Amino acid sequence: MTKKEKELISIPITVNVPYRFAAGKYMTKFLMELKNNGKILAIKCPKCGRVQLPPRVVCAQCHVKNDEWVELSHEGTLVAFTIMYLPLTDPTTGKPHKPPFVYGSVRLDGATSVLDHLVNIEPTMDKVWVGMRCKVVLRPQKDRIGDLSDIRCLEPLPGQKKPRG
Amino acid sequence: MSDRVAIVGIAQSKFSARRPEVNYAEMGYEVIEQVLNNTGLEMQKDIDNSISCSHDIWDGQTISDIGITDVIGGHLRNEEKVAMDGTNMVLYGAIGILSGEFECSLLMAHTKMSQTNRNIVNNDAFDPIYTRILGFDYTSAAALQAKRYMYKYGITQEQCAKVVSKNLANARLNPSAHNMGEYSVGDVLSSPVVASPIHELEIAPDTDGAVAMILASEKKAKEITDNPVWILGFSNCYDAHYLGDRDLADYMSLQKAAQKAYNMAGIKNPRREIDVVELCDAFSYQELLWSEGLGLCGQGEGGRLLDSGATALKGKIPVNPSGGLLSGVPENVAGLNRAAEAYLQVKGEAGEHQVGNVRIAVAQGHSGFCGQHHCVLVLGKE
Repeated sequence: MTKKEKELISIPITVNVPYRFAAGKYMTKFLMELKNNGKILAIKCPKCGRVQLPPRVVCAQCHVKNDEWVELSHEGTLVAFTIMYLPLTDPTTGKPHKPPFVYGSVRLDGATSVLDHLVNIEPTMDKVWVGMRCKVVLRPQKDRIGDLSDIRCLEPLPGQKKPRG
Repeated sequence: MSDRVAIVGIAQSKFSARRPEVNYAEMGYEVIEQVLNNTGLEMQKDIDNSISCSHDIWDGQTISDIGITDVIGGHLRNEEKVAMDGTNMVLYGAIGILSGEFECSLLMAHTKMSQTNRNIVNNDAFDPIYTRILGFDYTSAAALQAKRYMYKYGITQEQCAKVVSKNLANARLNPSAHNMGEYSVGDVLSSPVVASPIHELEIAPDTDGAVAMILASEKKAKEITDNPVWILGFSNCYDAHYLGDRDLADYMSLQKAAQKAYNMAGIKNPRREIDVVELCDAFSYQELLWSEGLGLCGQGEGGRLLDSGATALKGKIPVNPSGGLLSGVPENVAGLNRAAEAYLQVKGEAGEHQVGNVRIAVAQGHSGFCGQHHCVLVLGKE
């Protein structure tokens, strides 16, 4: 309905544009390996050797075509994190993530760049820190659907304590 | 500072209704790799500016050039995007070189129309309060323009349909085209009416693809090739947004853009001096209307020009020998494809759709519904 505020009119319109995004050749391979074999594959530049996530067609630094695939460890080190108090919307479901929750960037062993994901951990500053060792938790194979949610979350490896200081 | 700017190479996708196997960066890289190979140029050594052309709402990403910075060479270098028709990107790239700031610029236009819905996307081009709320899109607006044009100048449905017959027949000779065939005027007019007076076959189809081009200063161009194609003239011009603010059967902005581009190129008599035209026939009637705006004939004479055979593949001023947009060219890419086709004609490299010896070629592009904004490029051998 048209909303009148004093004598000013504003009209609500939802800009709702549907898309179907092609994952492309590189991300299709990444997602298929994740879904079928539980593997996390990165792409290695033939020139500078950096190992990138997400896999993509060109190394931006060297401007050469990438074609060497590298399997990464499921464990890595947290390089940044945030405790979120905004109920951000999950774009695949339209439903909000329930705050507070933790987003983290993990450099998986063997990778130059990071995997960003939700971190399954108590959202307090005592329990999460930069440098924390994490592992990737996948959906059970029978439930995987071929998108990034096949990685359910990141989780701290057991037996760690936040360093003092 | 460079006095002149040349086109030294192009590469084009094989256009297709759907490219589900590639994302838009991969699609763009296909033509970038090809144009660099064709010219023997290297990204780091030779290219000092990269410009892309597409549109956020088509790409489904804000500042959508972030999706292609890697492939276009924008990483820790300068890279910009033109969110208008591709002809405008050529103008913008040429100005960058004329300014002395750049020597050799890579241009790439890309769009995957298949990933969304053109009617919804185009609805968002309209003012939300006055016209968007009615559900308007480019086809409905074009139908109003077609009706007004036909009413005012007596242009017939058959003449509009004949544009389709001509262009889809030309497209059979163009290896990049994906929509082509032998269609009679009767065939076109018996395709379903989408928005009267416009029939389905009179609308450029949804298409995925990309085009790349390299522009160079005079000095650099002569190092790269013995026969560069010179950008002799360019100009652009905006008209009013609201459809009621202009007579849709006229083309003030195109006329102004063309006049300025011709002056710059030293063209006094466009009908005599232009050898070939590639223009944006997003809808059949637009080829007739834009022919008038480009001064290929007088006002209201677009239909007669077509009937005379002058715009046919082997006519006096062939228009859209490539098959035009009706043969399937993505929105946003359309103008760069026009410029690329004009380049091929000047080079004599258009293959089966080459029109003969071309000294002067004109490329036209438009952005916005009913040709609100026009850009005209004049390309030549000398």
